[in-house]
Amino acid sequence: MATGDRDRVAEQSQGATTERSASRVLSGVAVAITLLVLSPLAWLVLRAGEMDTARAIELLTSQTTIEVTANTIVLVGSVTLLSALVGVPLAILTVQTDLPFRRFWTVTSALPLVVPSYIGAFAFVSAFGPQGHLSDLLAPLGVEQIPAIYGLPGATLVLTLFTYPYIFLTTRAALLSFDGTIVEAARSLNHTRWEAFKRVTLPQILPGIAGGGLLVALYTLGDFGTPSIMKYDVFTRMIFNEFGARRIDYAAVLSWLLLAMAVVVLAIESRIEAGRDGAYVSRGARRPGEIKLGVWKLPATLFCGAIATLGLALPIAILLQWLVRGGVGYSDAGRPFQLGFAWNSLTVAAAAAAVSVVVALPLAYLAARGDSRVSSLPDRLSYVGYAVPGVVLGLALVFLSLKYVPFVYNTVFLLVFAYVVRFMPQAVGTTKSSLLQVDPSYVEAARSLGYPPLTAFRKVVLPLVAPGIAAGGALVFLTTMKELPATLMLRPLGFETFVTYIWRVQESGYYGQAAVPALVLVVVSGLSMLVILGREQQNGA
Amino acid sequence: MMEHNTDDDDRSDRDRTRPSSRRGFLAASSTLAASALAGCTDMLPGGGGETSGSELSVGDFRGSGPLVEQRSAPEGTSIDDLPDLSGELTMYLGGGESGLYLDLIDLLEQIYPDFDVSPQQDSASNLANRISVENNAGNTPADVFMAVDAGALGSVAQDGNAASMSSEVTDPVRDAFKDSEGRWVGFAGRARAIPYNTNELSASDVPSTVAAFPETSAFGDSFGWAPSYSAFQSFVTAMRVIEDDETTRQWLQSMQDLGVTTYDNEFAVSNRVADGEISAGFANHYYSLRVQSDRSSAPIDLAFTEGDAGALVNVSGAQILDGTENKELAENFLRHVLSAEAQEFFATRTYAYPMISGVEPVGGLPTIDELNPPDIDLGELSDLGGTVDMLREVGVL
Repeated sequence: MATGDRDRVAEQSQGATTERSASRVLSGVAVAITLLVLSPLAWLVLRAGEMDTARAIELLTSQTTIEVTANTIVLVGSVTLLSALVGVPLAILTVQTDLPFRRFWTVTSALPLVVPSYIGAFAFVSAFGPQGHLSDLLAPLGVEQIPAIYGLPGATLVLTLFTYPYIFLTTRAALLSFDGTIVEAARSLNHTRWEAFKRVTLPQILPGIAGGGLLVALYTLGDFGTPSIMKYDVFTRMIFNEFGARRIDYAAVLSWLLLAMAVVVLAIESRIEAGRDGAYVSRGARRPGEIKLGVWKLPATLFCGAIATLGLALPIAILLQWLVRGGVGYSDAGRPFQLGFAWNSLTVAAAAAAVSVVVALPLAYLAARGDSRVSSLPDRLSYVGYAVPGVVLGLALVFLSLKYVPFVYNTVFLLVFAYVVRFMPQAVGTTKSSLLQVDPSYVEAARSLGYPPLTAFRKVVLPLVAPGIAAGGALVFLTTMKELPATLMLRPLGFETFVTYIWRVQESGYYGQAAVPALVLVVVSGLSMLVILGREQQNGA
Repeated sequence: MMEHNTDDDDRSDRDRTRPSSRRGFLAASSTLAASALAGCTDMLPGGGGETSGSELSVGDFRGSGPLVEQRSAPEGTSIDDLPDLSGELTMYLGGGESGLYLDLIDLLEQIYPDFDVSPQQDSASNLANRISVENNAGNTPADVFMAVDAGALGSVAQDGNAASMSSEVTDPVRDAFKDSEGRWVGFAGRARAIPYNTNELSASDVPSTVAAFPETSAFGDSFGWAPSYSAFQSFVTAMRVIEDDETTRQWLQSMQDLGVTTYDNEFAVSNRVADGEISAGFANHYYSLRVQSDRSSAPIDLAFTEGDAGALVNVSGAQILDGTENKELAENFLRHVLSAEAQEFFATRTYAYPMISGVEPVGGLPTIDELNPPDIDLGELSDLGGTVDMLREVGVL
């Protein structure tokens, strides 16, 4: 054997060793992150364990618990389904058709995500509630009663309008990145548009839809504000009432049931994703031909317009009305809004976004590149934090930090950690989907040129997935801006943000003063949404 | 929940007859202009010490608006007669309305430059839970807990997490509104009341006991409550204590049969009463004053029941937390909260019932002596869990 050959063999075996140790380090890091993210559950185990077993079983099997569980399942199911029925058509319209003003509708379709759902719910009640603006408008026309907004229909409608953008965004990303030539091939085999969609497009974008649907379902599961304003009795409300009655152990037991539901949702989503063959989705070299809408142009535009009106224009109009009405003077509602609150919001949200994308990378990389079910476990498990209600997470972190790391208590670090636990899964999702679009042979090429794994990753993979990471960061950023319960519980003393201020003045009924910060919150969040859409520009949207 | 800009025409022909036994209480005011505080801005003499900061007058503590008409100067212990505040306090403020307390704290910080408060706000029950969890894990960093609901304070006291205050602090407050062992003291009263729409009902249509409500046909499918709100749950708990569980359960059931509408909070109940969506409801008294202050022509007035749970007077109160290293400062702070000026603040800015005898409630409200609250110790209202169970059983929650 020639010396050169021997060297190469040695090099290769050495390379294999680094490869193995690198992936071991990666797995180790991922496991450590997962454990950290799941640590708040330790407190739940502790508290639930304090409850008498017989009493706990009685609570879990009570008539109320069963009814509320059923209500919750119905709400999660209907919101997820309806969000798909709104989000997927919007995604197709804005990506694949000759819809007029496509860029504009893309932006308006994504933006309802930045409206905090509690503000959205308020807006709906004041517009469509009994005695609302609509009934005021219709009263002179002799319309006595409009259908009730309260209950399941209202809760479903509001949650759908403010969470469907998750599905819209993930579906768009999938549509933008899949290979149009396949569709053309199907069309050339004389398939109709619909058949081509059903047999080619849908299977390709289904993981994208499922990924967005997962976020919608888990958000709905853990949301308290909307169902409570809409008077629909769900799990979070039962947990909230137990906390109100200061029975922490009861609340902990009920939280376990909520987490069990979250795990079921995750399992369903895994199933859908497992149906995809092969991890690698080819990146569309060319876009499929544009669908001509023809006579459907007007209805399609009206559909986009209706959704934008309900999800964006209506809440903003209500906020403006609060602003104009003003109500009582500033002197009556406690300390007035200060710019510093906005700065606080921005800095913690930016920190949460930055930490989340860094932490999400190893989890996403393992899930995308791993070859076993086990390797995607950290990624799956990290979603659990997203479904835990903020109050539960807040109390858990109060206990754990004070007991084990008292120096972080009442600091911004603990607050940011809570945000990462809650919202990091959103970054994992987008990062994973963009990693899946990187052809593994690129990395192999870089490795064969003698680059160590980390360098290969930095030089080859990172530039390709940067837009996905930025989008994940933006999602974390804007959900952090909206987050209320954990923020209230974990912020440093005297630390006020947009949402804590809005909570305070709303809670005491001074809506006029909630208007400006709420509008600014929506505008700032809207700007971060442009980052998400900017990522698509590079994908050639 | 929002109220809407219903331009209800000002019905000057409103029925203003007030039967002496069951009268409406809220004076309708024609304008929202801030009333000039003529004649009541007597400057307080400055503390005289070098440390005293800006000199403030009663006018700085007093609110404005239609409900704060010509008021006589508050009587009681003046801030001047109290020792200076100096040092730092960590304070938990429970309930959204406690945002208003920040204004009082700001005023005190203005008077005493060496006095500094680090506030933390959340809902009262969240903070009570938090204090309990903090003490499980170590020690709560809070020195003082001020909450809009005595129930939250009571549960902290029951867990053994509150210190006893000296009688110097609690003496000005009547026994009904403080803990017998000095572990919390009320500083602002909140009366349970029945806001009703004056276009739909007159004061005499509201029965004098809640027991008669289910048989009141005027309330049928037109009555509101907010069962998730702590003050409502305290009222139901009071009924359980005064009557018994079975009676309370039946009453809840018969109210359900009457067709009650559930709201998120009692400000919403009061606003919907003013809108005419419902003709009456259960709410704390000050929400109706707030509705009136926002919409001077709103057709809303208050009725009170007599001697039963429906006439409960609950309090916003404060306590000093066990393990604090600033007990002396905390006690001095609470004496300031019960001073004449601070009580004037609560009466005129939050429309609460003052807790000291020298200060009157606003806006033609009956005084606590004119109200007929049930003879019950607020400390007995701690079994909220049992109440939540019952509300669930009956299907109210």
